[in-house]
Amino acid sequence: MTRLQPVILGIWFAIIALVATTAANAAPTRLVADLSQSHVDITSGYHGTELLLFGAYEGIPGDELVLIVEGPTNDIIQRRKEKRAGVWVNVETLLWKQAPSFYHLFSTAELSEIADAQSRLKADIGPLAGGLQLVTGVDGGGNVHGDSTPKAAVKPAMAKLGTADQNAGLKRNMTSNGLWQTNPASIITQQDMLFRTMLTLPSNVPTGDYSVRILHFRDGVALSERVTDMNIRKAGMSALIYSFAHDYPVFYGLFAIAFAVASGWLAAVAFRRG
Amino acid sequence: MTPCRFRARYFWQVTMYIYLPIAEVSMHIGIIIGLGGGVGFLSGLFGVGGGFLMTPLLIFFGIPPAVAVSTEANQIVASSVSGVLAHMRRGNVDFKMGGILMVGGVIGSSLRVALFSFLQSIGQIDLVIQLSYVVFLGIIGSLMLTESVRTIIRSRKPGAVRGKLHQHNWLHGLPLKMRFRRSKLYISAILPLLLGAFVGILAAIMGVGGGFIMVPAMIYLLGMPTSVVVGTSLFQIIFVTANVTLLQSIQTQTVDFLLAGLLLFGAVIGAQFGSRAGALLRGEQLRGLLALMVLAVCIKIGYDLVVRPEDLLSVELLR
Repeated sequence: MTRLQPVILGIWFAIIALVATTAANAAPTRLVADLSQSHVDITSGYHGTELLLFGAYEGIPGDELVLIVEGPTNDIIQRRKEKRAGVWVNVETLLWKQAPSFYHLFSTAELSEIADAQSRLKADIGPLAGGLQLVTGVDGGGNVHGDSTPKAAVKPAMAKLGTADQNAGLKRNMTSNGLWQTNPASIITQQDMLFRTMLTLPSNVPTGDYSVRILHFRDGVALSERVTDMNIRKAGMSALIYSFAHDYPVFYGLFAIAFAVASGWLAAVAFRRG
Repeated sequence: MTPCRFRARYFWQVTMYIYLPIAEVSMHIGIIIGLGGGVGFLSGLFGVGGGFLMTPLLIFFGIPPAVAVSTEANQIVASSVSGVLAHMRRGNVDFKMGGILMVGGVIGSSLRVALFSFLQSIGQIDLVIQLSYVVFLGIIGSLMLTESVRTIIRSRKPGAVRGKLHQHNWLHGLPLKMRFRRSKLYISAILPLLLGAFVGILAAIMGVGGGFIMVPAMIYLLGMPTSVVVGTSLFQIIFVTANVTLLQSIQTQTVDFLLAGLLLFGAVIGAQFGSRAGALLRGEQLRGLLALMVLAVCIKIGYDLVVRPEDLLSVELLR
């Protein structure tokens, strides 16, 4: 419970701040957001974790909120299988540049009820909405060859698949591995003033700098927006092993071999005497 | 439920997960050590590294394929060292033969680098790995099964005549002949060198030590006596897998030291029990059992290739 104390304190401060100012229809409205932890350490005991996202807003009944937790951008290779000579093989490959490696979206209602598709796109809502680019002319390994000019994901790059199916496939695959998620009606509000929701980080969460973006909608229009930073880092032994492997790869390899030889020898000796 | 039992269950279910820093996923310690112990037992029993079982199992449990292949190589180093020491005490290692196989194996596993990047560029690396599993496990498994069943049937017949030690064919006419005292052989050194190189390439691609190919090849191709085959195979596997570990550490940073350490903790213990259990069984019985296991893995991977996948689309995150 002690962990939640600063959270509760934060909520109180937010209320006081809101009450102190006049809650008139000033646009943009005031919006405050925070999380129970802005730094997440991935130690060797890490097996996913939960964070509380909370804050305060100047709302009236009928207002809606959208909260987006977005991880560092990453290149994603998308492949499509087809049956060739009785065996399922990859036949087409796409490369998505600048795709979010992590994208969890929370809202007070279904997105379609909050705003129309066009305003959602304008407000950069949805993992495929932002600066995501589809690169054509890649080989099966996602390496760019020949025509490497980034093209927006407008025309279907997969010959036998429409853009809609292709995008839906990307969302489906990223959702099944726990990295992308849409949680409609998952934000709890109180008195059109306070909101909170739980963010669940999976065990395979990508490390790096995250952004937590909160949007306040009224009648399908985004009144105000606020962004808070969060970062996820490896720490302790995980960080040590990771940096050893990346900074001194030769020594890391030799060390791994030496350790294996030593343990194999130790086991053989131990068992001979036993 | 008493508080004590509850705490024990909490400990087992919640706190026993460990985050693997290179694989970047967390896994239950019990699963890792159990996998290591089980596969280690089989590797000690049959004298194979057990990689052909472990690598697919690690991928099944959510370890990225590249990490599974490299980490498994690191772990096989340990179980092979442990196994080879047990065989050395019984004098069952032909170091001369092992040395030549090793030279071939190190060359072969180094060639893999070029092959791997080529396969990756055409996007069929997974297919090639799966097909190599199906083809080589299938061929080796069926050959071994028929041979061992035949031997078992023959040995049951009274008054069975023992066949020749090994067949002579054109392979034995190659130049650079060498005498291998321990193996009671006088054959061309080119043969084990090529065999070592070929198995080395496969080993590095499939994330295996290659024992399941090496052991039968030594028996049927080189004509080595069964007693020295396992120890000699383990001896050369140490160097091939150490080479893969080093190359993968340098080029792809996919060797997960923590995962390998936990796996080998289970495996070195399992391998000791396995090699003792192996002494209780006859050669053809061991080969028959190994053949059945090899065929089971072959059928599983082959089935996955021909059955329609749940989702025809897949994603891979480039890190």
